[in-house]
Amino acid sequence: MFGLDYSWLSDPAYQQWLLKGILNTIELAALSSCAAVIIGLVGALALTLRIFWLDAIVELFVEVFRNTPPLLQMLFAYFTLSTLGLKVTDPSTGLSVPLLSAFACASISLSLFGGALAIEAFRSGIETMPRSIIEAARSLGYSRWSRFWKVEAPIAARICLPALTNILTNLFKTTSQASVITVPELMYYAGQIYNDTFRTLEVMILVLLIYVSLVSIVTFAMARLERWMAFPGYGKGH
Amino acid sequence: MTYENKKRAVLLLIALAVVAWIAVDAAAGGAQYWARVWLRLPLLLTGSGSGWPITGGFILNILLSIASMAVATALGTVMGLATLAKSPIIRLPSFFIMNFLRNSPWLVLLFAMLYILPFEMKVFGLVIPFPPFVKAVIGLALPTAANFSEVIRGAVQSIHSGQWEASRSLGYTQMQIYRYVILPQAFRRMIPGWMNLYALLMIATALATVTGIQDVLTILNTSLAMESDRVIVYFYLTILFLFFAYCYPIAIFARRLENAVKGDNL
Repeated sequence: MFGLDYSWLSDPAYQQWLLKGILNTIELAALSSCAAVIIGLVGALALTLRIFWLDAIVELFVEVFRNTPPLLQMLFAYFTLSTLGLKVTDPSTGLSVPLLSAFACASISLSLFGGALAIEAFRSGIETMPRSIIEAARSLGYSRWSRFWKVEAPIAARICLPALTNILTNLFKTTSQASVITVPELMYYAGQIYNDTFRTLEVMILVLLIYVSLVSIVTFAMARLERWMAFPGYGKGH
Repeated sequence: MTYENKKRAVLLLIALAVVAWIAVDAAAGGAQYWARVWLRLPLLLTGSGSGWPITGGFILNILLSIASMAVATALGTVMGLATLAKSPIIRLPSFFIMNFLRNSPWLVLLFAMLYILPFEMKVFGLVIPFPPFVKAVIGLALPTAANFSEVIRGAVQSIHSGQWEASRSLGYTQMQIYRYVILPQAFRRMIPGWMNLYALLMIATALATVTGIQDVLTILNTSLAMESDRVIVYFYLTILFLFFAYCYPIAIFARRLENAVKGDNL
């Protein structure tokens, strides 16, 4: 079809590579997504405390990681963290080796990048919370703690969900950049395959389709979650 | 002092602390590394050692982002309005294309464009060449256009339905409603989104290094080949700062506009 040659796909070795790449991509995405959500929650909660110096530090963190390319962040982590002292001496050979593997560098920098996006998303989610509902809960005599757990948190979670979907898909897509620092994920194996077969166009089209399907699954699952979590009379629950 | 001023004071303090730390580090031997960076700075910024003519570097990244944004704005407007069309023959395919582009990683799309687009194209005997720069522009413009069409959709849909009903009852046609009533109002609301998208695109131009153009990362990699491990840290910090210094003001300005627009929801 269209003069594309996919005969290399029948080679079990390449199938293995693709599978391994997909699994590594999912692992990297899952790991950094979890960490990003945790960073986002901690950061957004820190902002609600309204302590001015904590606020300033969180804002600085968010702006630095949002306004620099994640690719550069990854390269920085990979090439310079070991120079800056993060290395250990291998007892068997006596050589000093970097403490962090390429995979660790990629997941750390992706977590921080995603975390910065998540803080921003959660913060604006909390900000758009309808004041009237909080006031109603207050006038009903809820304590600070039960108001948070029974009224504020459930609403905030539902407000933030669409933004969270964006962040998760964004992170998933950004994992492809980890191939630049030799993390063996899908994009990296794609490079290996076309170096072997010289079928660049065919490999890239296939990889593009795989990524789009994987990201679509994430989007679909999040949309289902959003519908499942919706409550009547608010947002999408009708 | 107000809360905001206190916060600003802390941020200023942190900035001063960073400057002080750099000065201390420079005094303790970092100066020679900074000297290496300073020597290479014209190359990193403009792509030529003396600073002129401009053949690449960070300025090429800026040019690339502007060119891509222009293409993406035109393409995204068409795509966004197509996804709002009444006819499913127009709406469904554009929806599919938009979601496909939105769900594909920028890097993979850029790589794919590199191989899908021909080296040159002959149209009616006219030869249109596709140098790496043009491929990078198209590769970056496609996902940006998809995101921009989402911005347009959001802005148009955020216009109160009363506006539609009022203009329909006044006898405007569909085209006239868009032209005179909806788009002028929606335009105001899409500017912050458009600017955020531009900042995102600028950040993504770092990926264009895979197309082989002489952008700041390509030059960085070639010049790092002859530097020591220690200097690399200083080089990376410089490039990170360049991107930050360019994108942060845009983000600030976009947020200010966003707050200004927030109030005019009918």
